[in-house]
Amino acid sequence: MRIFSGQRAFVAQRLSALVLLAAAAAAALRLAFGVAPGFERWQAWAAGAPGSVILLVVAGALVIHAWVGLRDVVLDYVHVAALRLSLLAAAALGLAALGAWTLLIVARHALSHIAV
Amino acid sequence: MRFRILRFDPEGDAKPFFQDHDVRLAPSDHKVLDALERLKAQDDSITYRRSCREGVCGSDAMNINGRNALACITALEGLREPVTLAPLPGFPVIRDLVVDMTQFFAHYHEIRPYLINDEPPPERERLQSPEERARLDGLYECILCACCSGFCPSYWWNPDKFIGPAGLLQAQRFIVDSRDRATAERLAFLDDVYKLYRCRTIMNCTEVCPKGLSPSRAIERIKVRLLRNSS
Repeated sequence: MRIFSGQRAFVAQRLSALVLLAAAAAAALRLAFGVAPGFERWQAWAAGAPGSVILLVVAGALVIHAWVGLRDVVLDYVHVAALRLSLLAAAALGLAALGAWTLLIVARHALSHIAV
Repeated sequence: MRFRILRFDPEGDAKPFFQDHDVRLAPSDHKVLDALERLKAQDDSITYRRSCREGVCGSDAMNINGRNALACITALEGLREPVTLAPLPGFPVIRDLVVDMTQFFAHYHEIRPYLINDEPPPERERLQSPEERARLDGLYECILCACCSGFCPSYWWNPDKFIGPAGLLQAQRFIVDSRDRATAERLAFLDDVYKLYRCRTIMNCTEVCPKGLSPSRAIERIKVRLLRNSS
């Protein structure tokens, strides 16, 4: 795959969509047929190893999917080079910050439960 | 029958405007092009392209009641009045219904629309099996009328960089040709953020193709082929 290949984004968008679809379907099934959800139960699940890994994978897929989508919108509609570069940089920084924030929350939460 | 035609004369008009025309049709007039010919007899300033008048040359592609089509094979019967005629959307207008196709054909030439094979030619011709020939069905019939590209939002957004559905359908025609030896180069050329991957699978191209072809399927097959080659 080349550096400026369009295929990389194409594949990333589809793979991340599959992860998000699976997560949404699992969440819907859990809500429909699982035991009644609650904050304590959710917190305990998110603190465990499988829960934190799943949360991070879904958050990563969401960030990647959002990046490809935003990048496509900017490439399609914004044709002024300086504005395009600024918007792409803002989108990349914003999404990276959101991803890092999610990582921080999940890691802190998991560590606090291990400490307890 | 009443027609509303988008008129534009670059020498006299500041901007395009719609003009209503009434035309008395003869019993032998069945297609939009027949009505345009009657209109032309009434007002010879109305400008449009046409040649074969039977859906083969693709010259008279235009927007008819909001949908791109060939005037020569679009039936008058059933068209809502006034019948609105406009040039192909997204193309620079030269005059009235005539658009500038320079960019469109530049993309067509970019995909190298000819067989590339440096192997020594056989004594008579490069043969294909019936199965190999059948792979060209649904691709070789394109008449380059530009109805598809002129109805593709991705082409409107990036007409200078995106090859467009017509060019990509033609690219697939040569990618699948068993006699061609430049498949790897063709795929490498298309593996680009703009040239191929601006297609957002809107599928307007397939919806309006007057020959019943499916550029969106051809584009999908190119993407699958690229994926297989890279894995």
